[in-house]
Amino acid sequence: MNKHEHLSSVLQSVNTANGLPNAHYIDPDVFEEEKAAVLFANWSGIGFGKDVPEVGDAMPVDFLGMPLLIVRNKQGEVAVFQNTCRHRGMILVDKPKKIGGVIRCPYHSWCYALNGDLHATPHVGGPGHNMHEDIYKSDLGLLRIRSYVWRDVIFVNVDGQALEFEEVHADLMARWAEFEVPVHHGGPESSFKLEVATNWKLAVENYCESYHLPWVHPGLNSYSRLEDHYNIEELGKYSGQGTLVYRQLKGEGGEMFPDFEGLSEKWDEGAEYITVYPNVLLGVQRDHAFAIVLEPKACEQTVEHIELYYAQSSEDTPELADLRVKNAEQWKVVFEEDIFVVEGMQKGRHGAYFDGGRFSPAMDGPTHNFHHWVATQLTNRE
Amino acid sequence: MLTAHGAGDHMQLVHLYTQAADMREAAGEVDAACFFLTHAYVFALEQGAEEAVALNKRLADYGRAELIS
Repeated sequence: MNKHEHLSSVLQSVNTANGLPNAHYIDPDVFEEEKAAVLFANWSGIGFGKDVPEVGDAMPVDFLGMPLLIVRNKQGEVAVFQNTCRHRGMILVDKPKKIGGVIRCPYHSWCYALNGDLHATPHVGGPGHNMHEDIYKSDLGLLRIRSYVWRDVIFVNVDGQALEFEEVHADLMARWAEFEVPVHHGGPESSFKLEVATNWKLAVENYCESYHLPWVHPGLNSYSRLEDHYNIEELGKYSGQGTLVYRQLKGEGGEMFPDFEGLSEKWDEGAEYITVYPNVLLGVQRDHAFAIVLEPKACEQTVEHIELYYAQSSEDTPELADLRVKNAEQWKVVFEEDIFVVEGMQKGRHGAYFDGGRFSPAMDGPTHNFHHWVATQLTNRE
Repeated sequence: MLTAHGAGDHMQLVHLYTQAADMREAAGEVDAACFFLTHAYVFALEQGAEEAVALNKRLADYGRAELIS
């Protein structure tokens, strides 16, 4: 029997398909399989450019056990390396820090430039001898992990085999081409994280669909009805939801956030919320945007890193500081309202007789689109 | 030197290791001098300190490191 025979029902049309079986949410072995086939084989989000704002900033990240190091190099670009010394395998950087010159391993002080080149090998040829005829520095630079920054999210392709990011996500980038303008993080009050007892995929699935909005987010009913939303689903690419009635937040004095420049009328009251498969949730609106990186900590444990961005910097708009706080609080309420749902679905998947569930053909297309994509990643590796 | 190590004062270590190297060099103890020069160089390099250039040259002149241009 084909190893992934059980996924054939997921790969049917939404009208007749079942969702991914329980094992994909509760079985550590399947979690490991998806780690390789879904998260390492594609472009996964691991962090944000705003966390390494200046040249020399370095931030270690543990991505599913893989030690990575994000740095801002001398060209001002983000680079990602395996955070492991080429000598004895020591972790190079264990907490965020500023690299003034080189990255020095704390064990034997092998030193690496911000571009990853091995720069110094002290005493490698004996005390006071810093060369050896069999040690070629050019062969021993830090191992670079493919990375790409889009909308301030740092994406990596750990296994190095994916197509270029701009190729994989060409359609989505074109869809949101109007938003290809600088985004400014709102500062500490615009950054929060939620620790959730769920498999990371359930957070994606909940984000993709609007079906739950009137039940889980009843506060939206007064101005954003279910029928004001539409499904977004591109088979094999991305999915999410859109609204036709986005309403700008106003402060007590009527102040509002400035718009991103150059947007068409579509975005006057339109907004879209899309998952960049596998684990990045993005939202765009006329006056602010957000990015969520889902960090899969374990099979049934996820951290949601949520960051809000604006068209103008906090420094340039100090008068909007209170409004940014209010906006962050409003979003936090929405995202917290979703916690019981994703944790409840996680618990429900320990029901031995659950068959993956049936989808609403009308409402669950975006969710099924994600299931279909995950199943495809797994079956493609056979 | 131990105090500077304990305090994580790596610029101070650059100066202290350089002093130690100078003393050994003056005594004609090239191996010991290069040992200390290596430490001074590494800590200078770590911080992007300008002293790294001269320290590298001293090591390179003794054939103990590649000259970094």
